[in-house]
Amino acid sequence: MELVQRVIIPAPRQAVWQGLNDPAVLKRSLRGCETFEANAAGGFDIVLQLKVGPVKASFRGEVSLTDVVDGESYTLSGSGKGGVAGYAKGSAHVTLSEPEPGRTEMRYRVDASVGGKLAQVGSRLVDGAARKMANDFFGEFIRVICDDDQVEFILETIEE
Amino acid sequence: MGKITVNLTVNGRAVSQQCEANTTLVDLLRQGLDLTGTHVGCDTSQCGACTVHLDGRAVKACTVLAAQADGSNVVTIEGIGNRDNLHPMQAAFRQCHGLQCGFCTPGMIMTGIELVNQGQADDDDSIRAGLEGNICRCTGYHNIVRAVATGARAMKE
Amino acid sequence: MVEKSIGQRVLRKEDVRFITGKGQYTDDINLRGQAFAYFVRSPVARATIGHIDVSDAESAPGVIAVLTGQQLAKDGLGTLPCGWMVLSKDGSEMKQPPHPIMAADSIHYAGEPVAIVVASTYQAARDAAERVVVDYDELDAVVDLATAQDSDQIYPEVPRNTSYEWELGDREATMAAIAGAHHVTRLTLRNNRLIPNAIEPRAAIADFNPSTEELTLYTTSQNPHVVRLVLTAFIQIAPEHKLRVVAPDVGGGFGSKIFIYSEETAVAWASKRLGIPIKWTGERSESFLADAHGRDHLTDAVLAMDEEGHFLGLHVKTRANMGAYLSTFASSVPTYLYGTLLAGQYKTPNIYVEVDAVFTNTAPVDAYRGAGRPEATYLLERIVEIAASEMSLSPAEIRRRNFITDFPYQTPVALEYDIGGYDASLTKALEMADWDGFESRRGEARARGKLRGIGLSCYIEACGIAPSKVVGSLGAGVGLWESGEVRVNPTGSVSVLTGSHSHGQGHETTFAQLVASRLGISVDDVGVIHGDTARLDFGMGTYGSRSLAVGGSALSSAADKIVVKARKIAAHLMQSDEDSVEFDDGVFTVKESNRSKTFQEVAFAAYVPHDYPDDLEPGLAEKAFYDPANFTFPAGAYVCEVEIDPDTGVTRIVKFTAVDDFGEVINPMIVEGQVHGGLAQGIGQALLEQCVYDDSGQLMTGSYMDYCMPRADDLPDFDIAMTVTPCTHNPLGAKGCGEAGAIGSPPAVINAITNAIGIREIDMPATPERVWRAIQQAGGQ
Repeated sequence: MELVQRVIIPAPRQAVWQGLNDPAVLKRSLRGCETFEANAAGGFDIVLQLKVGPVKASFRGEVSLTDVVDGESYTLSGSGKGGVAGYAKGSAHVTLSEPEPGRTEMRYRVDASVGGKLAQVGSRLVDGAARKMANDFFGEFIRVICDDDQVEFILETIEE
Repeated sequence: MGKITVNLTVNGRAVSQQCEANTTLVDLLRQGLDLTGTHVGCDTSQCGACTVHLDGRAVKACTVLAAQADGSNVVTIEGIGNRDNLHPMQAAFRQCHGLQCGFCTPGMIMTGIELVNQGQADDDDSIRAGLEGNICRCTGYHNIVRAVATGARAMKE
Repeated sequence: MVEKSIGQRVLRKEDVRFITGKGQYTDDINLRGQAFAYFVRSPVARATIGHIDVSDAESAPGVIAVLTGQQLAKDGLGTLPCGWMVLSKDGSEMKQPPHPIMAADSIHYAGEPVAIVVASTYQAARDAAERVVVDYDELDAVVDLATAQDSDQIYPEVPRNTSYEWELGDREATMAAIAGAHHVTRLTLRNNRLIPNAIEPRAAIADFNPSTEELTLYTTSQNPHVVRLVLTAFIQIAPEHKLRVVAPDVGGGFGSKIFIYSEETAVAWASKRLGIPIKWTGERSESFLADAHGRDHLTDAVLAMDEEGHFLGLHVKTRANMGAYLSTFASSVPTYLYGTLLAGQYKTPNIYVEVDAVFTNTAPVDAYRGAGRPEATYLLERIVEIAASEMSLSPAEIRRRNFITDFPYQTPVALEYDIGGYDASLTKALEMADWDGFESRRGEARARGKLRGIGLSCYIEACGIAPSKVVGSLGAGVGLWESGEVRVNPTGSVSVLTGSHSHGQGHETTFAQLVASRLGISVDDVGVIHGDTARLDFGMGTYGSRSLAVGGSALSSAADKIVVKARKIAAHLMQSDEDSVEFDDGVFTVKESNRSKTFQEVAFAAYVPHDYPDDLEPGLAEKAFYDPANFTFPAGAYVCEVEIDPDTGVTRIVKFTAVDDFGEVINPMIVEGQVHGGLAQGIGQALLEQCVYDDSGQLMTGSYMDYCMPRADDLPDFDIAMTVTPCTHNPLGAKGCGEAGAIGSPPAVINAITNAIGIREIDMPATPERVWRAIQQAGGQ
């Protein structure tokens, strides 16, 4: 699954960047996330409940931040193992710009893939699930950093 | 997970079985009661080899929890007839060569009886549509369709 | 009653247990004290294995042991062998990377077993398997057959990921014929990958008895003796005389239960190591991942013709996907079961075939119903169909012009056809299908807004494999004879033991009819025993439509021996000489006298030999081993008529006609059933079935929700008939009928679809989407 989207957030770039680097914010943004903790390797250990079609499993994995350009962009990659359910891998390359003060444009390219039973039994459902997960994540992230459940933002899908 | 007790009637006999809460009806039948005529051919409720009758309706026993069958009346392939006194649907499968390896056969017969009971065995097209949930890899269904039609006639006599 | 039961529709003796739920399949067997196994499988298609941590799993509730491929390797067991050596063009041996029973250091396909968890319940084993932590260092998987030879090398010892580059036929003569031809037809096609899907998943129970050191393996096999041989000779699980393999009722095979697999072998090893009975029953998901798949060819072909459409030369270049390892008979499928069949029913004088066997990071590919012959037939009958169109000949006419009519016929690709009657099958099929009336049906369908098409296919197959000397010279690691034994019991009932194995074919009935007819007794008095290495000496098993032609011939010889001995006993009892005793309808009679003895009286005398010939041993039991003199060559003509809804692309088969020549038939009811089943699998391949891996080697069609099995409402009633030219070299005149339907039907269906739409080509499976797109494209031209 590949997805490229652009969203205009009514918040300054620095606030968005801080949110993108705050485990507590990321955890709150990620539905089903039970643990999101910094680890010794500089990344985060996560535990995530995922349900794709008939397969439901608890995934343990690691999230890392790479290609970090402070205040501007990074790649957030994660992979998790769900025991016999298989594994899921995903990454999001996020870039920020501030077209006008107090408004941030965030662009992101999301790639996701699955393996094992999740692919075998749930493959036809994975694309939809991954897309929904990405949408949910970024939507929730914006609500969290704006601290406003009703916040309005403009989201545009560029590629999918 | 805790053990539960399930009371049900199987092939006319009252049984009380201890099992896990997540035990399926097919596991209860095969492992608990040694009724191995009901088969398991898949893990996605598609093949129909595990079809039994639950309170008179055909169900896939891999998708029913034993707990859900508590208090119910279950009939399996072993309960509809025997070597000396075959159910008309059983006899029709043999008569029409409606089976080869025999693995899907119990489910086919139980579904065939259901189709007759539900009035869906009146013509070949309805029978074929009604057998959608039962997969056979041996017969190409040609003789199964004939068997169900033949069994239907015999059941009405 | 002597010959009466032969040719009769005798109802099957085995049916009663199946229809009453009393069949005894492997998973129905439970041994006292048995534990349950669950396999940890790789979720990735290609990786190196780092550390495997089983500690958490070992301490899980109910777990008895967790054994890994790494431990198995340390125990010094062999690897899973491929039993057929194929040589490349340059004479070099095929490259055969070791196929471990469980992966120890690297993974080559998603689903490959890595460890076995043994626990007191199935659920406990399954739960604990989740706790086995395996470090996989994932590598880029090689998945696409078209590019695999130029991709990353999977095995260091296998350049270009190519096991062998095989050839057959005269290259120069074929190229010359093509160069000088009036017309050439070219075709590139794919034979889609299939998953066999016998409805009973594979299963095994291994029971090691520490006191006798005997190991019994109950397993879902088409050939238990071959399993025993391989487990002993190649894997060294146990000495052959200490290993018993039982294949009880088996719920369908279609080739997939021929092979020696990881799971059954690992269970046997684990039982021996732990000293307890262990049961493993595969889940359907595991069948999809780890049963040997079928087909998967990419082929380029050129057919050359003269002005009148006579075939002059055929050049075929095929890449065959072997998957990650060479499975038990995998190497023979795209070579000796494929290339040798490319003459089809036609007297093409020059044929040259090249086959590259290519490794990919997918499940191993091996024989599946038809095995090589459906691939050959699909290619040939598609290119002939296109050639007919290009030469402006009718499909029937181009075939008739090229039919082989004189037998025996030596093809340019090694086989010698003993007999056939191709025009008779074709004529009958065209008549039954009302080919001549098709155009009016097409017009009537058009008026209803439907596209109607008709397609023809004339197939041949080589069955009844095969003369041991011949297959030995071609690289087979085994002989392909069959054994049979006829034991006459003192009361005159008969136990028949056969090395063939029935997993739906009805041997308990057909073989009983055969022996009952020979001995003049009732079919009810004959019991057929098979599938247990402890009960009969040896057998090669059932595949390649060989049971009747080879196994039946062995029984025929054994029955003949019974009659010879019984006649001696009867002569003695009637105070006559052997030559004066006739045997007919179960009664021995002294010619021109009123003296007679029934078969039962003679049987009794053999076991109570009070009044008995001095020079004869007591008892009445005879064995025979039959090694065929040649392959048998079933052939036939199929006609498919379809109607397509142009709005949805849905293809409906409105009429399917199959005329087969199987030689002599013992039970037409059973033979028709075999044809029906084969047709369903062939139509499934043509319209519905497709195994798909994604580009990282993940199986996308891993359940019945994504792999489209033919269901009752996908198929029509079948119109079938037979023509007969008896096989010339076996005592029954029988050829074999198990695979024909799957071999002949795919091209008939596709030819009907291309005919309906008016296009040259469409890929299998012709799904509604593909058909709809083809209609849009054709309309746009």
